[in-house]
Formats: sequence, C-alpha cells, structure tokens
Amino acid sequence: MTQGFIDDNRVMEEVKKAIAQTLSIDTEKIRPEDSLVRDLGAESLDFLDINYRLEQVFGIKMARHFILEHMEEMFGEGSAIDDNGQLTEKAVKLMRLRLGQESEGLQPGMDMDQVPPLITVATIAKGVNEILATLPEKCTSCGSPQWKCNDGAPIECSACSQGAAYSTGDDLIKEWLTSVQQEHKIF
Amino acid sequence: MSTRIEEEGVKGSGPLAGGSEGGQRRPLLSLFAGKVALVTGSSRGIGRAIALRFAANGADVVINHRRAETPNQARQVGIQALCQEIEGMGCRAYPILADISSRESVKQLMAEIADKCQRLDFLVLNAARAPFKPIERLLERELRELVDVNYLGNIFCIKEALPLLEKKDDDTTIAGKIVFISSLGSKFYNPAYPLGSMKAAMESVVRDLSQSLGERGIMVNAVSGGLVKTDSFKVLRQYMEGVDKLPEGLFVQPEEIADVVMFLCSQASRAIAGQTIIVDRGLSNRLYRPLG
Repeated sequence: MTQGFIDDNRVMEEVKKAIAQTLSIDTEKIRPEDSLVRDLGAESLDFLDINYRLEQVFGIKMARHFILEHMEEMFGEGSAIDDNGQLTEKAVKLMRLRLGQESEGLQPGMDMDQVPPLITVATIAKGVNEILATLPEKCTSCGSPQWKCNDGAPIECSACSQGAAYSTGDDLIKEWLTSVQQEHKIF
Repeated sequence: MSTRIEEEGVKGSGPLAGGSEGGQRRPLLSLFAGKVALVTGSSRGIGRAIALRFAANGADVVINHRRAETPNQARQVGIQALCQEIEGMGCRAYPILADISSRESVKQLMAEIADKCQRLDFLVLNAARAPFKPIERLLERELRELVDVNYLGNIFCIKEALPLLEKKDDDTTIAGKIVFISSLGSKFYNPAYPLGSMKAAMESVVRDLSQSLGERGIMVNAVSGGLVKTDSFKVLRQYMEGVDKLPEGLFVQPEEIADVVMFLCSQASRAIAGQTIIVDRGLSNRLYRPLG
C-alpha cells in the first residue's frame, strides 16, 4: 500500500542528513541532483554507511547489492559485466529503464567503476520511497490494518507496536528485474 | 609515484620526537629507531593505527594504499593527514600507491622502498578487500579478486620483500619480521564473510613460512583481531544481525591490535614463531553462549 505517513520531503531531509553525517559536510550544501561520488566525495563504504543510517531512521533494509550484481546473479555471469569489467549492451538497456534520466551517461562498454558516480542524492531518496511504499495492508504480526507513525520515522502497528515489515531493497530490485525481463525479454 | 610529505610536514614536534630545538629527530631510546616498516592498506582503520604505533616507536613508515585520495577534503583521516602525524612524531612517512594484487605493482612498491629507505625491517600484511556475500554466491570474477588480493597479494608482498628483509643488522642475528593481520573469520562462520577463508589460508601460510623463513632469520606471526569499529564494520553490521548492539566492552580498538603487532616486531617476541595471537577481548570465548 502507499504509506501516507512519511512524505517525500521528509525522506529527502533524512537522506541529506545521513549523507551529511557520513561525509562530514553541511546538509545545506547537498542538492538532490548531486552525485555522491563526483560532487560529494563518497566512497563505496560511504554508501553502506548512508544506507545504514537510513535503515535505522526508517526501520527498513536498503539494497545490499547494486542492480548490476543482481543482473549477474539472475541472468548469469557476464550478462551485465563482460570479462573486461565493462557494461554490456543489455545491462545498459535495463539500467536505462530503471534509472530514466539519471542514466544519460550510461554507455555499453563503459567501465563498471564509472557507474557509482551516476548515483545521486535523489536516487537514494527514490530507493527509500520505493521501500516505504511496500507497507503491508495489515500487520504481519497481529493482522491489524492500523498503522501509526508517532514522532519518529519508523511506522508501527497501532495494535501491537510491531515495526512495519517492508520489502527489502534487494527484493524490490529482484522483483523489478523479473517483471522487466518478462515484459522486454532483454536477456 | 609517491610524494614525500616531509617538505610540508611538521618536523620534530611530536610527543616522542625528543624536541626539535636540538635537531634531535626522534627519541634516542625508541624501540624501532632507524627501522623501516611497511604496512599494506594503511590509509585507514587498523593499518593506520599500526602505522602510527610504528612511528610512536621511532620507525619510519611506508604507507601503502590502493587508491588516490577522495575529493572529500573534510575528512581528517586522509593519507596526507596521516603522514603529517607521523612526521610530527619525528619519523618519515612514505605514502606509496600500489595494488598488492598486481605482482608488477608490488615489485614497484618494493623497488621504491629500496630506493627511498634502503631497508625494510617490518612487513605488516594488513590490506584486505572482499565482497560480503555467501561464498557460493560469489561470481567467478569476485572469487578471483578474493584470492588475488587476500592470498596472492600477500604472497607477492612477502616474495618481493625478502631481499630487503634478509638484510641483517650488525648487532642482531634476527632479520626482518612479517606480521599478518587476520580476523576471527578464519575460525568462525559468518554467512557473508568469504574473506574468512582467505584469512584461514594465510594463517597456514604464516605457520609454514615461520619455518622456512625462520631458517633465514625472518620471524613470521599473525594477529587475529575481533570486532573492530573501523570502516569495514560499517559493512559487517549490515550482514551480521545485532552486532551493533553488542556491549562496547567487546569491541577491540585498532590501537590494541597495533600494540600486539609492536610486540611481535620487538625482540620480546623472539621465541614466538608461526603463531596467530587472538586479540578480541574474549569475544571468541563467548561465542557459544548468550551474550549478557
């Protein structure tokens, strides 16, 4: 169901806060269109730190693996990244579907190390919103259909106070890949 | 390839520098005065703590790192800051960029050490890199990288460092020392820690080399660290449920591991060969009963 407790602005605010804390920079300097790597100086471990902070705030599980890794697991080694560590045409096609405008810089033959710089602040916020949108109709613990979100960002069951059981970021990527593959038959 | 920081660094003003007014570069009685240590992967975390401990004990330190610094200038943990801290203690810091998984890169690293330092007394094998996934889910590329960095890379370092480590001082029969940094993953299961298998392999290498290289005067041992809140912990806490809720008292400080490395590099450890010393505040003793 679409959760109505936490709006997009709140998500963006928390994403900026997590980035600011991880990278020791001012929240005011962070813009939604900023590349975490190119503009803000993030490294791979910083992504995990940012994700961890967001998980603590929202009670969610962000994706542990990047979409390219999921493609390789689901469609076979070499399907997304070739022997030279470069993106395949099929991987680029899929990522364009996934990332939309943010995928402008993507080209087949591009080094896989050049992909993380494409991730922006808005990409992270979009990932959080996608997970929050998987709020179940009913509490998985007691079956109550009532949720509450008091002063914090975690959504709890009104009846038993159990935290909401969202889909994980990895599950969402896998589900998306499965549905896109069924529709477009890319691999 | 590398840049000496000395030109810009603070000289002779560190706590162990012995004062800069008389031109004394480092304390006369420091444990490793005149020695040179190479710590692989020492730009941060445990490696950084080891590098600083070497400097605190009077050794010049080669800071090996794999990547150039990030554009994030706000960080205080950068290589330049580390080198300045070492220089501040009155020792020399040599930052050298090298990917240990490439033998050619390791050869260049050792050639640069030979050229700039003319000696190497301690080789600390700390660099490690691995994905966090169950081992059966690793792609071939990831498996090869796992072995290349965490096994072959260490062997390359040992092989290429031998000519330098074998060079003997006049006053001792013991040549250089090698210390490998292992982890509890070598002995205990973690569902997303394939690095543990490489740590186990290297602990065996340490045992074997302590015999073969011991005959040539080179001491080889390992230190196995428990849970340490370095950058890697940011990854671990996402794969090991509840690890971030463990009591603070079970977490090891990087400096506590560094202190054991110092011991293994000192003459006080002369009777220890091929061993892996566990530094985990007793965590491994508690693994099979609930943590209170």
